[in-house]
Amino acid sequence: MPDPAISVDHLHKTFTSRSGFWRRKAKTTTAIKDISFTVERGELFGLLGPNGAGKTTTVKILATILLPTSGGATILGHDVVRETQAVRERIGFTFGGARGLYTRLSAVDNLLYFAELYGLAPAVTRRRIDELLALVGLDDRRDDRVETYSSGMQQRLHLARALLHDPELIYLDEPTVGIDPVGARELRKTVRELARRGKTILLTTHYMAEAEELCDRIAIIKEGDIVALDSPASLKKRIPGDSLVEIEVRAADLALLQAALKDLRAKCQTLAGDDGNKKLSVRTRQPEAVMQAMAPFIASQQVRNLEVRNQTLEDVYISIIQGKKP
Amino acid sequence: MPPLVRYARLYVIQAWYAWRSLFGWANPFSYFTSKFGFTFFSMLMFIFLGRFVGLNDPVYIVIGNILLIPAANCLSGISMTVGNERAFGAMSYLLGSPAPRTVIFFGRGLFHILDSFLTVAVGLLVAVSIFGLRFSGMNFPLALLAVLITAFTTSGLGYITGSVSLVNRDGWMITSTLSLSLYILVGANFPVSALPEWVQPVSYALPMTRGIMAARAALDGAGFGEVAGLLAGEVAVGLVYIAVGYWLFRWLERKSLVNGMLDSV
Amino acid sequence: MIARALRLVRQQVRVQFQVRLFNLYSFALYFIQPAIFSLVGMLLSRAAGNPRPDLIYTVIGSGVLGMWSGLVFSSLYDIRADRRDGTLELIVASPTSLGTVEAIRTMANVLTGLVSLLAAFIIAVLVFDYSFAGVNLAAVLVSLLVLLAGLWSLGVFLANFTVWSRLSGSYVEFLEIPVALVCGFMYPIRILPEWMQAVSTIFPIRWALEALDAALTGSHDLARLAECWGLGLLLSFLFWGVTRLLEGRVHDRIRVTGEMRSI
Repeated sequence: MPDPAISVDHLHKTFTSRSGFWRRKAKTTTAIKDISFTVERGELFGLLGPNGAGKTTTVKILATILLPTSGGATILGHDVVRETQAVRERIGFTFGGARGLYTRLSAVDNLLYFAELYGLAPAVTRRRIDELLALVGLDDRRDDRVETYSSGMQQRLHLARALLHDPELIYLDEPTVGIDPVGARELRKTVRELARRGKTILLTTHYMAEAEELCDRIAIIKEGDIVALDSPASLKKRIPGDSLVEIEVRAADLALLQAALKDLRAKCQTLAGDDGNKKLSVRTRQPEAVMQAMAPFIASQQVRNLEVRNQTLEDVYISIIQGKKP
Repeated sequence: MPPLVRYARLYVIQAWYAWRSLFGWANPFSYFTSKFGFTFFSMLMFIFLGRFVGLNDPVYIVIGNILLIPAANCLSGISMTVGNERAFGAMSYLLGSPAPRTVIFFGRGLFHILDSFLTVAVGLLVAVSIFGLRFSGMNFPLALLAVLITAFTTSGLGYITGSVSLVNRDGWMITSTLSLSLYILVGANFPVSALPEWVQPVSYALPMTRGIMAARAALDGAGFGEVAGLLAGEVAVGLVYIAVGYWLFRWLERKSLVNGMLDSV
Repeated sequence: MIARALRLVRQQVRVQFQVRLFNLYSFALYFIQPAIFSLVGMLLSRAAGNPRPDLIYTVIGSGVLGMWSGLVFSSLYDIRADRRDGTLELIVASPTSLGTVEAIRTMANVLTGLVSLLAAFIIAVLVFDYSFAGVNLAAVLVSLLVLLAGLWSLGVFLANFTVWSRLSGSYVEFLEIPVALVCGFMYPIRILPEWMQAVSTIFPIRWALEALDAALTGSHDLARLAECWGLGLLLSFLFWGVTRLLEGRVHDRIRVTGEMRSI
């Protein structure tokens, strides 16, 4: 059986920083507590989590940019600490944001520069640059300086750079951050295309819809630990009820409504709304029943607003991150 | 809060953070080296340059270079505070606040002036211990007065280059060229009279030249009466620079309202 | 293999020129600062009553100072900019080692420094009627090569030290003038206090400069010249060796601390 694309084994990472003018105080922060997971070849794997949860640190360890404090990881069977050279030849990666390009150079010059660092033969380089610039839709701007690019274009150039040496494994750390919706959709399309070509992709993102749309499996990281790992569909099943009915009601009428909903055995949650109103959030498998029960209140205008929507990954994510048992 | 107290608070607090932010990241080593490093070692270089051409008494060069420290600090310090605010994008927030402009502007200089003043005192002590400079016969209080006045007048030059750094990311270039040319122009390493005659008017149009002369005279034991004229001249020149710097700052601020140049990096 | 190495060199040098070396900052280091030091030297000489300045030390020496300052700050700035721009991580994570990249860049920086020396020679000739008559030209060329080797070895050493941490660059910055001071760029070493002369012996460029000055004044003392050249090359080799030894540790360290980006 071939080695998995990524195998992470009890990864742990702390940083020590010093501050102070005369007496330098050392402060240790834990970025990753204890993380283990495996990504199979050809899988599109998502890492989700709030800022500072340890996503980027994990990706950087897997990219040989950081050394773990303890634990380890292998990439296609190669150890990230001991076999850095083999790992580096096989991975491509981008970090979110516009940093990491020589903005005074053109797209082609940037790619030529990195092609040389990856030791590509000149003929291959030329062919790859043409292909990749077409893939990311930058061929018409190929000779313009990168500083004239929009942030979306810079992100796409990053993707092209990461793909130069045709790596088997690609890490995309927040690839759509700061990109407009149309650009983000284009980028997602490219990512799907890469997955279709059999690349293994590790994606971190803050956009739940993006993760839901793209990923085969998702790990949710919170404070340096993995708190959930499953396919998007299975993760969504963790929360009972498939639909969410959100009802906005005058505070005075709240008890009335709650009584009406009691027989439905739906899971209700009350939140503060605007202008002294209350918001009632109902998780249910029978949204029709809830609507029926609410009908008289709608007619009497005691219900100000009613919205029915399907449970999304975002709901799951928020309930996991906020620490409530689903 | 009465306006005067409010302004005074704003002035000092603002000045303190502006100054601190320049060194906030640094450790003690880089603080001291950025204060003394380049100045001290270039002074040694000039001493050896002098020795090579036959000037064997280093004291003239030592005193001149120490007196130059506040000038260099004020110049680059003020310029850098303003320039960094621009580079980090804080200028818009500062100018977008209702704080009075005069207070903001002069706040950039306060701690650099105080800091420089201390630096000179330390520099002179070092000179005493290393180069055998003797305190006896010196009019030390008068020399310190001259130094304080010079630090203050030089801040005017700093405000001007600071304003330039505000609108031009290469403004530091003017600042650094200017502070390097002070080694030649203001009589730090050799008397102004050793300069070609056509350059000498430039020297007298700059702050520091008269201040350094006055401080030298005081260190030679001169009384206040003998240097009063030089000090008055120094103050007059300095005020002109401060006025021009302030006017430039306000003018650039108004212009940036139109073309947004304070935001462009 | 060789073709690949040459392509890497060409690509690195090209980017180095396009991105880093042609800007006002370099201009200040290569031309303005040495010109000011040179002017101070000339005016001190005038104040001391000398009819004309010493061209070799005061004018041509300032060109060497420009080479050195330019090297120190370009090595420093390369790493700082890579930290700021996020490119340091990309280089570290590429299969080409950061050490190799630094070696090539430093070479580009050293060679660029020659513009400073060239400018100094041009000024010496055009403004001060400097003549190459009586100069041991062959020895000058050899000494220059040794000087380049010495500068390069110090450059890679300092670049590696700059990689060490976000703040280590400020120590490198601090070294600019002290090294210039003891190596006798703008005056002969013999005028320095003895302990400074002793310190200078560890710097390869000091030996290259002694040979360069001797050759410019027409020395044909081949034994002494060869001694200086030999010491210059040997020390360059030592600095390079030490850099190679430390490189692995430094690169591991930044992967532990994560100091590959500026804050």
